[in-house]
Amino acid sequence: MTTQQLRPIVSVFPIKGKVKTIKQVPLPSVFSAPIRPDVVRFVHTNMAKNNRQAHAVSTTAGEQTSATSWGTGRAVARIPRVKGSGTGRSGQAAFGNMCRGGRMYAPKKVWRKWHRKINTNQKRYAVCSAIAATAVTPLVMSRGHRVNKLPELPLVVSDQLQSLTKTRQAVKFLKFIGAYRDVEKVIRTKKTRVGQGKYRNRRHVLRKGPMVVYARNLGIKKAFRNIPGVETASVYTLNLLKLAPGSQMGRFIIWTESAFKLLEDIYGSWEKPSKFKSGFYLPRPVMVNTDVERIIKSDQVQTVLRNRRPRSRKYGKKIQRADPYEDMSVMVKLNPYYKTKLQKQKELDEKNKKERKEIVDKSRKEYEDWLYFSEEEEEEEEEGSDEDREIEVLSDEN
Amino acid sequence: MSKQVPETIKKQVKRSFNSKEVKKEKNEKRMKLLKEIQTKAFKRAEKYEKEYLEQEQKLVELKQKALKEGSFYREPEPKLAFIIRIRGIVGVPPKPRKILQLLRLRRIYSGVFIRLNKSSLRMLHFIDPYVTWGYPDVETVRALIYKRGHARVNHQRKIIDSNEMIYDKLQKYDIVCMEDLVHEIFTVGKNFKHANSFLWAFKLKPPVGGFSTVKKSFVNKGEHGNREQYINTLVKKMI
Repeated sequence: MTTQQLRPIVSVFPIKGKVKTIKQVPLPSVFSAPIRPDVVRFVHTNMAKNNRQAHAVSTTAGEQTSATSWGTGRAVARIPRVKGSGTGRSGQAAFGNMCRGGRMYAPKKVWRKWHRKINTNQKRYAVCSAIAATAVTPLVMSRGHRVNKLPELPLVVSDQLQSLTKTRQAVKFLKFIGAYRDVEKVIRTKKTRVGQGKYRNRRHVLRKGPMVVYARNLGIKKAFRNIPGVETASVYTLNLLKLAPGSQMGRFIIWTESAFKLLEDIYGSWEKPSKFKSGFYLPRPVMVNTDVERIIKSDQVQTVLRNRRPRSRKYGKKIQRADPYEDMSVMVKLNPYYKTKLQKQKELDEKNKKERKEIVDKSRKEYEDWLYFSEEEEEEEEEGSDEDREIEVLSDEN
Repeated sequence: MSKQVPETIKKQVKRSFNSKEVKKEKNEKRMKLLKEIQTKAFKRAEKYEKEYLEQEQKLVELKQKALKEGSFYREPEPKLAFIIRIRGIVGVPPKPRKILQLLRLRRIYSGVFIRLNKSSLRMLHFIDPYVTWGYPDVETVRALIYKRGHARVNHQRKIIDSNEMIYDKLQKYDIVCMEDLVHEIFTVGKNFKHANSFLWAFKLKPPVGGFSTVKKSFVNKGEHGNREQYINTLVKKMI
């Protein structure tokens, strides 16, 4: 149940006159089945093997000789060689896959497993997916169909189409509805097949054009038979190989009204089983709401999320911080008291220095005083020398 | 072509945890907190300076008093030791290896603070040949924590580049700034364990001037073992 391209009502168009809606029908549930290209690819590759014809190589090919190895000692390879003489064939190597005219490696056998069994439910799943894809315009366009001029997709057309008998009428209808461009494409790109199929009765290669799906064949089959590229199919027997040719989903289909309505009965829905396929319900998608971005951005999710964590630093990036004993600003950031401390220390140092200076000065002064005083004494002593004293004595005598 | 802002974007902006208003509010709160921390740091640093000075003076006083009386003053046994691992990893026997691991001395020239008690002294006895240890003074503790102090934050080693870092981790132990941390470590306070484990093991450089011989103990003119106060000079050479 994709919520994106759900079109609950589809218009039905006439087959001639004016291209306008003559009726509206509800979209069958099949068109909301999950589109699974992986399932379709698997089923398609296996289903495509089922119309193979057995082929093999002749059982006696390369074995119709009585060749024997010459053995060693003859300066030739030990491969079996054709017996006899008198002909070019004698002495030639035989039997081996490497020999000219020998048997191939692992000769192909008819009893190779040509066909594949596929689980029924898988087959039905693939068909449901393929049908759903035919309503998705981008898929149809990407498959290569020219659908620009169509009034609507899925294209549903009145049941009168089923009663067409003449090819001319069919072509006229296709032109009327805007589907002939796809047919023109087919005609334009008809080519000779590349490869050997061309001389094996598979000379030409055609593109796939529109597919017309009907409920009752009242001549429609023959009418569209000869138009290149166009295929017809009964709605009861829709073939995956036609709905998704080359396992590429999105075939351009033109439905008749009754065929379109029958899809609901044939494939059922999720509540009601199919009327024709016993016990079959439409496959369920894994996600109901596939708009993941919208879900993530919704209020319900966002309010429950935790805060976004701050971006972590790059691995190995170290936070550089200067040495606080060299950079004052770093030191102050860590210890705001540091500047004051230095200041106080400085003041204390100065105070101590001053005190010390006073003490030192004082003691120096004392020392100098003492020195000076002792110098005076010495000088006095010097002044009073022996000679002088004698002179004084003499003078006293006189 | 008018630009219409999608509803989801509008809602996202409104709901955004990084919107301008929210950021502004957060920033204001943070600034206020930082200011508080820094004023606390200032006051406490002042207090601690006085405390350390008083301690020193008290010690001197008691010694002098004892000298006067003719007796001896027995100083209290040291509570804090700083251990430096001075031998490498190769060839260490299991018991010392385990003890070195327990003390976070996992590489050569790594250093840790440790509280000295009977059990830790016993541990040191076992690892004596691989470490040198001693009693650090305030300036050594300060230098280590300021210059080489890294914190263990979110199982990561991050350099302590602001007091906010310390506040975030150690606020509940009343340690909010660097000086608090230094004080807690140096005086081996009540929350020494938490302060110490906040610090990553110090990664020191090989000593300037080298070792004499690590094979001998310090007492025998080598380097390993207890070197009491001479750890301070060694740390200066290794910091």
